[in-house]
Amino acid sequence: MKTAGKRKRQEGSLTLHFRKYFPYYAMMLPGIIYLIMFKYVPMMGSVIAFKDYSVFQGIWGSAWSGLENFKKLFEYPDFYRILRNTIVLGFIKTFLVFPIPLILALMLNELRNAKMKKAIQTIICIPYFISWVVVGGLVFDFFGVGGIFNNVREALGMDTLLVMQKESWFRPVYLISTIWKESGWGTVVYLAAISSIDPSLYESASIDGASRFQKMRYITFPLLVPTALILLLLNIGNFLTLGFDQVYNLYTPMTYSVADIFDTYVFRVGIQEAQYSFATAVGLFQSVVGLIMVVVFNKIANKVSEDGGLW
Amino acid sequence: MKRKSVKALICAVMAATLALGALSGCGTGSGTGEKKASENGDASDEDLEVWTTNNGFLAIEHGSETYNLFKELTGVGIVQPYVEWNGGETYKEQLNYRIAANDMPDMFTPVDGMETDLIESGALLDLTDLLPEKAPHLWESIPQEVWDAVKANDPTGNNRIYTIPTVISYGRNGAMIRKDWLDNLGLDMPTTQEEFVEVLRAFKNNDPNGNGVADEIPTGGREEAKWMGQLFGQYGIAMWEGAPQWDIYDGELTYSAVTQNMKDCLEWMSELYKEGLMDPETLLNDKAAWDGKINSGVVGIWEHIPQECYNYAENIYNATGVQPEIAILPAISAPGYEGFYTERQMNGSTFVVANTDDEAKIDKIMAVLDAYGNKDLWMDFYNGVEGMHSEEVDGKLVRLPDDPATMENIYALSPYNNIADLDFQVELLSSQLTPEREWSVSQAITNVQDLQNYVKTYAGDGLPDSIYADYPDIGNRTLYVEYATKIITGEYSIDKFDEFVDRWYESGGEEVTKLAREWYANKTK
Repeated sequence: MKTAGKRKRQEGSLTLHFRKYFPYYAMMLPGIIYLIMFKYVPMMGSVIAFKDYSVFQGIWGSAWSGLENFKKLFEYPDFYRILRNTIVLGFIKTFLVFPIPLILALMLNELRNAKMKKAIQTIICIPYFISWVVVGGLVFDFFGVGGIFNNVREALGMDTLLVMQKESWFRPVYLISTIWKESGWGTVVYLAAISSIDPSLYESASIDGASRFQKMRYITFPLLVPTALILLLLNIGNFLTLGFDQVYNLYTPMTYSVADIFDTYVFRVGIQEAQYSFATAVGLFQSVVGLIMVVVFNKIANKVSEDGGLW
Repeated sequence: MKRKSVKALICAVMAATLALGALSGCGTGSGTGEKKASENGDASDEDLEVWTTNNGFLAIEHGSETYNLFKELTGVGIVQPYVEWNGGETYKEQLNYRIAANDMPDMFTPVDGMETDLIESGALLDLTDLLPEKAPHLWESIPQEVWDAVKANDPTGNNRIYTIPTVISYGRNGAMIRKDWLDNLGLDMPTTQEEFVEVLRAFKNNDPNGNGVADEIPTGGREEAKWMGQLFGQYGIAMWEGAPQWDIYDGELTYSAVTQNMKDCLEWMSELYKEGLMDPETLLNDKAAWDGKINSGVVGIWEHIPQECYNYAENIYNATGVQPEIAILPAISAPGYEGFYTERQMNGSTFVVANTDDEAKIDKIMAVLDAYGNKDLWMDFYNGVEGMHSEEVDGKLVRLPDDPATMENIYALSPYNNIADLDFQVELLSSQLTPEREWSVSQAITNVQDLQNYVKTYAGDGLPDSIYADYPDIGNRTLYVEYATKIITGEYSIDKFDEFVDRWYESGGEEVTKLAREWYANKTK
């Protein structure tokens, strides 16, 4: 408490302030430099979205092409298809998968056997560390002719069903594989938030005769909402940027019509064909949409909960 | 107080170091790539870096056995890092990164028409005058008309040579059938489509491999409708490893995927699929999965490279204990069509050379190319390193079965595959007839010769990939693969085919067809 008074007096002078807290600023410096180097400097490279970039002429040497690359994207015959797929899969990932870790965390929190809790937590976290390439292989094997899925169907007297080449199955597979791989990891943040809840709240609730369910309903859950909102906001920024590896490792030509998204399209047309300007234009488009969505949802979040927004 | 300032000082120094490190790192990153040399500690500047297809073999490092062999044969040290091939996709990606960093390998195999851009931006070495002068062996071993075709494909229109073409002057791909299965069931070799389907049914139902389990897969192929020439060929469709080619249909050069032939073929294939005569997983099989099925002795008819069928034969033998008899399935004609297996002579480019002014380096590259084209050395290139790729039997070298885990990529320089003719191929296989392998290798010799009765070249052979430059999805055959696979699996009815044709033309097919026909008019003029 003694230092608090001291701090107050010095806050008046900026120079003094810096001198006093110089080590802390110095410690922040690497992080700030990192952000500038790897987040802001590369942003300048986005300029090639408006150029006809050639690796031999460099960024400045390449000719300007105006909005040509964006026109090309919007005129792509399947633009509507990839936009729709991206939005649908983005919706699945952002809104359907999103509550699962929260529910899991609430359930885990009610487990009284600490060993059991740790074990389950570890087991559901492990898939997060497996790459999509491997998960894709597992999923294909799981649904293959000799896979568990078809063995069970066979035992039940049903025909072999090759799920991976059925359009109608792609979205469920996408949803389930996302939950399996990522929700365990998502619970970590919520469990941390739960552990920081003041135990006296639970104590007083117990004295008032609250049941376990009521404690969960009226204490744990409401206190997790701000965390949940922040995580949701962070996810929404990536709404159109689903990540290429999951879809790429799960789709087949037979499911293109529901699975082809911006990222896979960019990979096929931009990266593989070395059309960097075009790939950048698509990336820029995705980011702008992401930014708009973050701003909008931030507004909504601020309305919903007092400090629910990011800013 | 003193301790505090020391701490602050340390912090400042550390932060500054970090900042400097980051800044200087950025400097070299965005620089012009002049500081190239110092990166690979042991790869000396004297060596050439050569990138080619590598199906999982070990890298060729400076001073390794294969390095020494190549040095002996060409006079030049050649290194090749391990770059995953993955159907050309990963390779292309990695190569594009190197190109983007302005640090191309000295010599490499370009894929999917990437050479067009490189030639146009002056990144590749003009070989027109160098080859006859400094690599006469290579110049001689590739026919003049092929060089003319290479010149005609120069995207700058100046008729210069920038690429070393891959030339296969005989039919390499074709369908093979388990002749021993036919014999077990007392069936004759099918010659009509009706008989063909009967054979498929017999393979499926009558347990030709005699193990008492109905595990046989009559026929099939790979994902994206690849390697199914045994079916496409019956409808006279020019098809190379699953990629539709351009041939004359209704009197004009046309993409074979949008023809009536294709429509009829897909309809028929969907019937076969429905009846279970094709592997249900056909369109999900990757190379490993499909080869695995063939190698475990459950597949009856498949398309691949008959000259290499001894690999299948030996693998089946190892897996099942049965010595299979693999024969060529004669080209079968669907009613109203003339069936064949597609013979593709011009198979893109084996090598392009990074542009350089360094005379010494140019001389080295030319020395490698000259040796590469020198038929007297081809056996040596083929046999590779004694003890690694080959062993001595009765006083002469014979190749060991490929084992990527222990062998370095001897295929880095494989003129016997890339400037191949039938006679040399037969000679090469004949040199491998050891008592132990005679049964399998002799099948390959018979088959590669037999196949020539059923192959046909096509009008669009040699068409440069550059026609797809503005329409990558057509070059990637995205639309074709989507519709073809869905029609085969029955997800779409055959009526959807017309929609595909319309969409294909709308999404750039029109323009690509125009370019292809211009090219053809030029070629035949």
